[in-house]
Amino acid sequence: MTSAFEELKESKEHLTVLLSDGGVPHNFQETYTEIIDQYFRMSLQESETAHALFKAKTPFAVIAVGGYGRKELCLYSDIDIQIVFGPKIPSSAKQLAEEIFFPLWNLGLDLGYGIRSIKDSIALSRDDFEVLTSVMDARFVGGHSPIYLSLVETLQKKVVSKKAVGLGRWLEDQYKVRIHTFGDASHLLEPNLKEGIGTLRDYHYILWLARAFFNLRAPRDLEYMGILSHNEYKTLCDHLALIWLVRNQLHQLSGRKNDRMAFEYQEEIAKRLGFKDQKDLLAVENFLGGVHVSMASIKSLYQSFITSHISRWRGIKKDVDKKDTVAGLHLSQGELNVNSGTTVLSNPFLLIQVFEQSSRLDCHLSMEAKRLIREFLFLVDDAFRKSEKMTQCFINIMTMEKTVETLDQMYETGFLEAFIPEFGKIINRVQFDAYHIFPVGRHALETVRHLKRLSKEKDILLIDIFSDLPHPETLFLAGLFHDIGKIGKDHARKGIAITRNILKRFGYDKKRAEDILFLVGHHLFLVETATRRDLNDEKVVIQCARTIGDVERLKMLYLLTWADSKATGPGAWSEWVANLVQELFFKSLHVLIEGELASPRAAHQVRKTQSGVRKLIGGHIDDRDIEGLFEAMSPRYLLETGPHDIVRHHALVGQLKERLKNSQAPVFVFEAREEPRQGCWEVIFLAKDRPGLFSDITGVMALNHINILSAHIYTWREGTAVDIFRVTNPLDPIHPDETWKRIKRDLRNAFTGKLSLDYRLSQKAAPCILPPRKKPSRPPKVVVNNESSDFFSLIEIFADDHVGLLYRITHTLFKLNLDIRIAKIATKADQIADVFYVRDLDGQKLEDSKQIEEITQALIQQLNQR
Amino acid sequence: MKKIEAIIKPFKLDDVKDGLSGLGIKGLTVTEVKGFGRQRGHKEVYRGAEYQVDFVSKIKIEIVMESSLVAEAVKMIQEKARTGQIGDGKIFIVPVEEVVRIRTGETGKEAI
Repeated sequence: MTSAFEELKESKEHLTVLLSDGGVPHNFQETYTEIIDQYFRMSLQESETAHALFKAKTPFAVIAVGGYGRKELCLYSDIDIQIVFGPKIPSSAKQLAEEIFFPLWNLGLDLGYGIRSIKDSIALSRDDFEVLTSVMDARFVGGHSPIYLSLVETLQKKVVSKKAVGLGRWLEDQYKVRIHTFGDASHLLEPNLKEGIGTLRDYHYILWLARAFFNLRAPRDLEYMGILSHNEYKTLCDHLALIWLVRNQLHQLSGRKNDRMAFEYQEEIAKRLGFKDQKDLLAVENFLGGVHVSMASIKSLYQSFITSHISRWRGIKKDVDKKDTVAGLHLSQGELNVNSGTTVLSNPFLLIQVFEQSSRLDCHLSMEAKRLIREFLFLVDDAFRKSEKMTQCFINIMTMEKTVETLDQMYETGFLEAFIPEFGKIINRVQFDAYHIFPVGRHALETVRHLKRLSKEKDILLIDIFSDLPHPETLFLAGLFHDIGKIGKDHARKGIAITRNILKRFGYDKKRAEDILFLVGHHLFLVETATRRDLNDEKVVIQCARTIGDVERLKMLYLLTWADSKATGPGAWSEWVANLVQELFFKSLHVLIEGELASPRAAHQVRKTQSGVRKLIGGHIDDRDIEGLFEAMSPRYLLETGPHDIVRHHALVGQLKERLKNSQAPVFVFEAREEPRQGCWEVIFLAKDRPGLFSDITGVMALNHINILSAHIYTWREGTAVDIFRVTNPLDPIHPDETWKRIKRDLRNAFTGKLSLDYRLSQKAAPCILPPRKKPSRPPKVVVNNESSDFFSLIEIFADDHVGLLYRITHTLFKLNLDIRIAKIATKADQIADVFYVRDLDGQKLEDSKQIEEITQALIQQLNQR
Repeated sequence: MKKIEAIIKPFKLDDVKDGLSGLGIKGLTVTEVKGFGRQRGHKEVYRGAEYQVDFVSKIKIEIVMESSLVAEAVKMIQEKARTGQIGDGKIFIVPVEEVVRIRTGETGKEAI
């Protein structure tokens, strides 16, 4: 005959093999429990000490407690066992324990055992709720059964019945500890299968409370005693079965008692459970989604059980019951109830109204109300979903203070999915990475939660931006829908089409719907631009501002970006990312407020110009090159230059590049064209940009008596200066070409150091014997403006005009190590109003007030010279 | 052996990484860091409240390699991370005494 030990060893090995082969017995826990029970029974028969104890009339009972008592043994669970004696513990008890327990240790099982008298056991249970809950699960395994019965009876009479409310409170505290320590497993991507909220512990709490309050004996009594409905009990059992199955697999894979399902095990478990990869959805994502559904269901059942069956025993405040609600609903025990099924049938509006009221009154739905809603979800049909009354009610809920709690209840009861079927597709969608901690649907709700809490945030900037929004509800809806396209790649774009359908069904305000669609489609735009593009490049910021288009949208997008990242996980919104996004936000905000470069009109103008250019040269250059060309042009240039001129400049840039290839010497392109109608000439000058270039040109012009009326200087991306001047007619109108030739020669000489502009111009300005004509004169004015641009300091100059003035100004700026990137030169009669966009040679704005003062004074001195 | 530590602009990471793997460098460590140098932080004002940003977000990459590769790697980082503007970052080169691969116990060149 095989010994108890050998039989145990063999049976356990067999069971373990079944587990790894996937041929898991339907109920592993019960089978395993049975094997252990069998061992104890056999070893009691084999034990001579046991026989002696019975003969000596000191009988005992072997009692399973804790998880073993509940028949829930997983592969590496602790086996909690007690040997209980009647009045007193004989000295040979220790030997008995050694005989029957030692072999288990040899097998590597974790054994928790105690040898107690009934009295000790009761006393311990009275003092410690943890012991109490363990003993409440006691189950007779072997030995003398009257001892077991006596223990159970005494425990019920002396402890459980008296401590029910205390136990309720203790479990309530423990629940909070669990939230804090293990979190809500139903939306964590590495959930704890035993202690997390929504897991086995929730079920244990239900059992213990039902034992204490309703004298429940076996789990099945939950249904038989009417605590749970047939469906609820059946669903609960199914969900528990899945979690146990997963837990056993996890134990086996980790090779120890491990209840935290870390990423490393999930793929293998999914495979063993037969999940397969599908289009756009990995097996492991599908698997984890299923586990979350089970956990959410258990969590929801636990909460309903507490509010419906337990809260009343603790004497909850009933003030709330006095509040008014709408017809068909009533308050009781601080919960919202639906009067009856027939009221719902005759008035389906109640199905959504009950949520609106729950939100308004800040009280949860009763278990019965949730039951009724689930049962009547079939009433939520297309007509219901389209009805203005219903959608208005939903929008109202979005604007209430308790939106998130209400959305949670809508989600639990399946109403959210029924009302917005598009949302159902993402509710339990899991992304298998370490970055997202919530499945998509939960993530969307979390995003709304963060948006809702904005006004209570510590960061004043967030509060200020939020309080500026005229219609925060737009933002909340965008938060709810932002990831609704996450059923595959390119989810932001997919989300637009899906959200458009929903909002159309809602009959939602068109303008605000457009805002929501924009936010959904661009919810990653700020983060991506901030982390992947050069924020010191004005063009990047201007394009960002143009894409966003207006200040309201930018503000909402910033808040959505923040909330979305916060709801993604702790890694997504670090101070590091926050800094970058905030920088982009402010820079774009300034561009949008300034208006000039990113107004809708400007964006329209640029689009028009671009399509004009495409029409003109589309045949000769391929599309990608044209786009590259636009990419290289500065945003101001594109805004201020017409398509014909752009094409002409493009050709000139081509010429310049040719010349650069063939020559080591400084090369440039110079073209002058008469504009007879305006009585002036247009001069185009191109060269490789360098500090001082602009100053040289103005010097040569002055030397040749050409007065510059206006100038636009631009720098294309690869460092080509494109300068466009409007100048007065040459002094010799009959032979203008002579003048231009001379200018070109002087430019060449100035660039190669063969001509000193300073010297020549001072010669030129030598006092004339004719007295200067008296003119009214105003003192010059120089203003350094740091507010208008995040990228440049603007130096604004107002002064009387005279030949050579522009050279002096630009030369002074050059000598002060300032790089002129943009200049707008305008002359009205004999007054100039010039603006220079400058940076220092490091590319920074002028921040030092001493330096600014120095520059101002240097310029004024130059302007005062004649 | 040397360790190269480079502070670069965040948006240049991909370029630098691609450039380095083109040189056959197989591993590098990337850290999100904050700091300041000649590129100063900045101050923003929104509705009267001031938001001072003292530190600029940057990326730090660290690579350990044989000394013979250093010159080429530095050149590559410099080329790829350069915008010509302030805040392009810095490259530090420090000697490394020893490397041990934890799994196998290999040391020196083999362990890089």
